Amino acid sequence: MSGDNSNPISPTGRSSFNQERTRVAAGDDALMDGVRSKDQAAMAEIFDRYAGLVYSISLRVLNDQGYAEDVMQQIFFEVWERPQSFVPGRGSLAGWLSVVARNRAIDHLRRGKPSDSIDEVVLPAQSNLSVEAERRLMMEKVRTRLELLPKDQQESLELAFFEGLSHSEIAAQTGIPLGTIKTRIRSALHLLREAVQA
Amino acid sequence: MTDSIHISLEDLTLYAMQALSSAERVPIRLHLAECEICRAELAAVSGDLALMAMSAEQHALPEGARDRFLTRIGAAATPANKIVEIDAYPAGPKPQTRRVQSWIPWTAAAALLVIAAGLGSLLYRTRLDLQHETALTSAQTDESRRAREVLEVLTSRDAQRVVLTAGTPHPVPTARAIYLASRGALVLQANNLAPIEAGKTYELWIIPANGSAPIPAGLFRPDAAGSASVVMPQIPVGVQAKAFGVTIENAAGSSAPTLPIVLVGAVPSAGE
Repeated sequence: MSGDNSNPISPTGRSSFNQERTRVAAGDDALMDGVRSKDQAAMAEIFDRYAGLVYSISLRVLNDQGYAEDVMQQIFFEVWERPQSFVPGRGSLAGWLSVVARNRAIDHLRRGKPSDSIDEVVLPAQSNLSVEAERRLMMEKVRTRLELLPKDQQESLELAFFEGLSHSEIAAQTGIPLGTIKTRIRSALHLLREAVQA
Repeated sequence: MTDSIHISLEDLTLYAMQALSSAERVPIRLHLAECEICRAELAAVSGDLALMAMSAEQHALPEGARDRFLTRIGAAATPANKIVEIDAYPAGPKPQTRRVQSWIPWTAAAALLVIAAGLGSLLYRTRLDLQHETALTSAQTDESRRAREVLEVLTSRDAQRVVLTAGTPHPVPTARAIYLASRGALVLQANNLAPIEAGKTYELWIIPANGSAPIPAGLFRPDAAGSASVVMPQIPVGVQAKAFGVTIENAAGSSAPTLPIVLVGAVPSAGE
C-alpha cells in the first residue's frame, strides 16, 4: 500500500472540499480506517471502487452472473464484518480483493468450503491501485502481455487460474508432463510481473 | 517439492493458486510457518496472481447489486451509522418549474402562518431538548460518581485481592515423538487430548524432509484421561523427518492428511 497515502489533491485544496468530496479522493487506507469504525459511507466507497473488479473476476471463473454476484456480495460483506482481514502494508487493497475473488470463485466452482481464510492472502506492497486510471493502465499491460504469451503457456495458466484445475488435472487433460505444466505456469506469471514492472 | 532449504517457485505458485492436493499442501504450510524467505516469495507470487486476476474482462455490476449490499450492511449496522442520502436540495422544498403570480399574496400569508407555526414548534422542541440535556447531565454525574467509587476500590491498598480460576483448568494437548529414522522406529506419547467423536480417530504423520507426501504413522484414540500412545507403527525405514503432525481422520484412517493439523512439531535441525 505504498501509494495509498498519495492523495493527488494538495492539503490546501482539500480543505475547501466537503466531507463527501474528501472521501472520494481518499486513499484505500483512509477508507479502510472508516470501515473499521463502521462508517457505511466509507464501505460504500470501497464497494463503488472495487465491486466491479471483484464481480468481473468472479464472473470470469464462474460464468454465471448470479453466482458471481453471490461471491462478490459475500466478499464485501466479510470486509465489512472483518475489516482487520486486510492488513495495510501487506499489499494493495485492489490486489488483495482480486486474489480473494479468484480464490473464492474457485472454491465455489469446486463446491467446497473456502479452502483458505481471506486473512491468509498476503501480497507485496505495490503501486497505488486505488487510482482508477492506474489500475486500468496496469490491466491493459497485463492483457497485452497475456496475448503475447505462447499459446501453450497461456493455456496452462488460464486452465489453472480461471478454470481451477490442479496441475495434475491439466497434465491429464493436455497430456503434458507435470513438470512442464509447473514450469509453464511459473514462467507465464513471471512474464506478467516483468510486463508490469517495465 | 522442496529443495534442502526452500520451496521451489513452481510449487509456491501452485500452492498460492490452490492447485495442490491437501497432502501436498501440508509440508509447504509447515515450511512457510518457519521460513520468512518463502513467505516473502509467496507474497510476490500472490502479487503475480493479482495481476492475472485483474486481466479478466470488466463487466458492469448487475442492476441493484449496490443497493442489495448497502441494505445488507445497513441491517448489520447500528442506527447511528446509517448512510444519509444527500439530497440535492436538502434545506427546503424542491424548486417548482411553474409559478402563478396571482397566488403570491396567498402564498406569502401561508408562508407567514407556516413560519409562525415553525417558530412555535422550534420553541417547544428547544424546551424538550433542554429537559433532555438536563436529564443527561444528571445521569452523567451519577455515572461519574459510580466510576470514581469503582476506581477507589480498584486502587485501594486495603482491598483484598484474590485470583479465582476454574477448579479444573483445561490442559493443553501435547505429544512427544521419539523417532529413529535408521530403524524406522517411532514412539509417540500424547496427553490431554480432546475426546474424539465416534467414527473419527487421531492419525499421526511423518512429514519427510525431502518434501515428499506425508507418511501415515498410526491411528490412536485417547483414553478417558486424554492420554494415548503410538508404539512402533509400520513405517518405512530411513525416512528423514522434517516434522510430525497429527490430524483427525475417519476411523479407518486416511492416506493423506486432512486439514487442520491439530498437533505439529518440527524436528530440530542439527545443532539445535
